[in-house]
Order: sequence, then C-alpha cells, then structure tokens
Amino acid sequence: MAVVRKNILTDATARDDYVRGVGLLKREPSGHTTAELGIPGPTNPVSTYDLFVVWHIRAMMKPVPPSGDHRVRNAAHRGPIFLPWHRVMLAALEANLQRVLQKPQFALPYWDWAADGELGAPAGAKIWKDTYMGGQGDPVADGPFRYDPADPDTFTIRLRSDSNGKILQTERGLRRIFGQGPPIGSPTMPTSTEQKEALAFDPGTADPVDRYDSSPFHVSSEGFRSRLEGFAPRNNKPHLHNQVHMWVGGDMGPAHSPNDPVFFLHHCNVDRIWEGWMDRYGRLYAPDMSFPAAVYEGHRIDDPIVSPLGPSATPRKVMDMSTLYVYDVKP
Amino acid sequence: MDRAIEPTELTAAAAPERLGEYLAGLAPPHTHHDHGPAKTVRTTEFEGHRIVVTTTYEVTVDGKPLNVQLHVDDDGTLSCHGLPSYQFASALDSIRALIANFPEDFEGGE
Ligand SMILES: [Cu+2]
Repeated sequence: MAVVRKNILTDATARDDYVRGVGLLKREPSGHTTAELGIPGPTNPVSTYDLFVVWHIRAMMKPVPPSGDHRVRNAAHRGPIFLPWHRVMLAALEANLQRVLQKPQFALPYWDWAADGELGAPAGAKIWKDTYMGGQGDPVADGPFRYDPADPDTFTIRLRSDSNGKILQTERGLRRIFGQGPPIGSPTMPTSTEQKEALAFDPGTADPVDRYDSSPFHVSSEGFRSRLEGFAPRNNKPHLHNQVHMWVGGDMGPAHSPNDPVFFLHHCNVDRIWEGWMDRYGRLYAPDMSFPAAVYEGHRIDDPIVSPLGPSATPRKVMDMSTLYVYDVKP
Repeated sequence: MDRAIEPTELTAAAAPERLGEYLAGLAPPHTHHDHGPAKTVRTTEFEGHRIVVTTTYEVTVDGKPLNVQLHVDDDGTLSCHGLPSYQFASALDSIRALIANFPEDFEGGE
C-alpha cells in the first residue's frame, strides 16, 4: 500500500513521527565508521542519519560521466538527474524512518515553502515554531533540534563539508541564519507565482519532452528542471529550490545540507512539484539514450542513479513511484 | 524496463548496513584542488573560428592561498562547489559567501 505524503502543517502525527524518527536515526549506529567511509580524523561510529549527509556530499563530488567535471554536472545536481537522484534519496530515508518508527504507513511530510514566501515574513512562519522545526540560531536554540551541550542525546552535527566539498568531522549544534542578503544568502523566499511559472514553462518546441530539460542539459539549460532546481532564468537571483537553501542559510548552504532535518521536508516539496508537473504533461524525461555517454552518462533516462539500488534505480524507473507513495495535494 | 522500484528492493538497499557499504565504495574524488587553482576551459566556434578561454582564479584570504573550486559557466556565471545552490556574478562575492558560510574554515576576522 502506497503511503500518503502530506503537508507538515496539516498533519501533526506526521510531524511528530518525523521528529521522533530523525532522533532515532541520529542515535542509531549504522555499523559503519568514519574510517571506513574515508573521512579523515579519529575513527568514530557514523549514525544512519549521517549516512544521508555523506551520500549527498559524495554524490555531489562525483562527476558524471566519470571522465567529466563534477563542477559542470554531478551525480545529484546541475543537470536533469537532480530530480530523480533526490527522489531516491528521500525514498531511502522514508524507508528507514518507517523501520525505526515501526510504522510502515509513515510518509515523509512536505514543507510547502511557496505558501510561506507569499506571507512576506517567512521567518515568522509556523514551520519555524518551537513545536515544528524550531527557529534560527547559531546554534539553533529552540525546537526539537536545539543544541544543549549538557544533554548527551542533543541534536549534534558530526560531519560537515568544507568549502571544497571535503568531508570533515565536527561536533556542534545546528546552524540556521534566515534571510541574509546577497551574496551570503537570499533575503526572500520563492513565491507561488514563480512556482506556477516554472510549472507552465513552455519552450515552444514540437517535442513535449523539451519542457523537462533540453540540450546541452547543463546547469541552466532551458526547461522545468533548471527552473525548479533554481539556476534559471539567469538574472542574478536564485530561484525556487536554490532560493530556499539560501534563505534558510547556516547548514542549509553547504554540500552537507541534509544535516538540517528541514532539508528532507524541503526536497519532499520539490519532489511534489515535479509530480505536479508530470500530472500536467505526462511522465516525460530527457535526455534519452541517444545522447552520447561520453558527455551525458549519469543523466540519461536509463543510466543508474548514484544509489545503493544500482541499475534498479534509473530516471525511467523512478518516474512513477505510486507503488511506494503518493501526495495528498499537488500544485 | 519500465518496472518501478519494488518496495522490498528499496527497503533492502536503504538498510544502513547496505547503504554504508555502498558509500564506502563511492571512491572519494580525486582532489585536483590539491594541485593548485582550479581551471575552467570554455570553448566555442564563432564564424568559423575556434575560441578557447582558460580561466584560473588565484585567491588568498588573509595572505593564505585558498584552494577554491571556482567554476565559470559558458555565460560567465560563477559557481563554487562548496555552496551547491549558489551562483555568482563576481569572484569577490563568491569568496565573501564562502567566508560567511564556512566560519570554521576562516578563523579570525571580526
Ligand atoms: Cu541536493
């Protein structure tokens, strides 16, 4: 039975389960150590939650194709694979949450950030209240992920990425600094209007698949994907997904952004918007396999996504997830 | 081929044991940033001519060289790998953003 992903603001059970589940995964030893994962410094156990931080950083540093440049396109960002890769990551976290909560019907909730963007004062939004995700701070001092050095079970950041994407060990509280101005962050959040514009984007070509993404399938190539990822249109402003990372700031900026549990609520919403797009235009994806591997491998429809599922997870195989989950409402 | 992911397949792959094993095998990237400033080469054809533009940024902060992975897209937009959601019109802005977002890596200052 597919689970139903709901808005965190309208489903207190999903919210409480999510908070509790994150706490459980943070405390669960994954059975792997920093040494095994190639992380420098003393050998320490790595929690199951923190494996997702490592996965995100490693995927980002992985060039696709293997001979390519990870700064151009990588296994998780800056190209068409952005949506499928994060979809698999989210589903894997959801499976772990169901396991530790012993609740197979648990569904990851989403954060409808465009609704907050419409308010004009997003720092005061409900999602940042003490009973939800807590607010901003260095470290965050309220909510379920506040830092209390006297409490051995307090929410602690143990792995971080440096300015070059290298994984380092640390021990500190979660950091959020809302609405900083450019170039440090973004003073505004995306609005519903911009979300609608991305969904409606029409390249005006004959092939409907061009709506998703188009040649040269890079960071800002024309399409819905580059708009939702937030690199297009290029006008010296961030958009949608990127803008949310930049507005929240603190640990949501670097490659280690899954350290903030709001990351998964944010990406669940990104995934929901993608689902809304497919409702409109069909389960379409580009590039297909006619594009040369030498340039596009890792972003094509039947290429394996960088995940432990190997060839079982390709963009084609994750376009329809309705056996696993559905959304209550789609944009 | 079109078959979606099976729930059992997902659960098995997502198990911490298996996920961790997979991540241990994801080779840490070859760190070309350890060998001096990162280079971007942009090429294009124009009116039958072949253009190659090579860019490197040499950055110091407080006199210390900063090995930073600045990348220039074809339209001149800069990105920096440490901040995946960001893009910059100016290299100075990109370093300002790094200093503000990686306080542990830039001690001192005010
Ligand atoms: Cu990401």
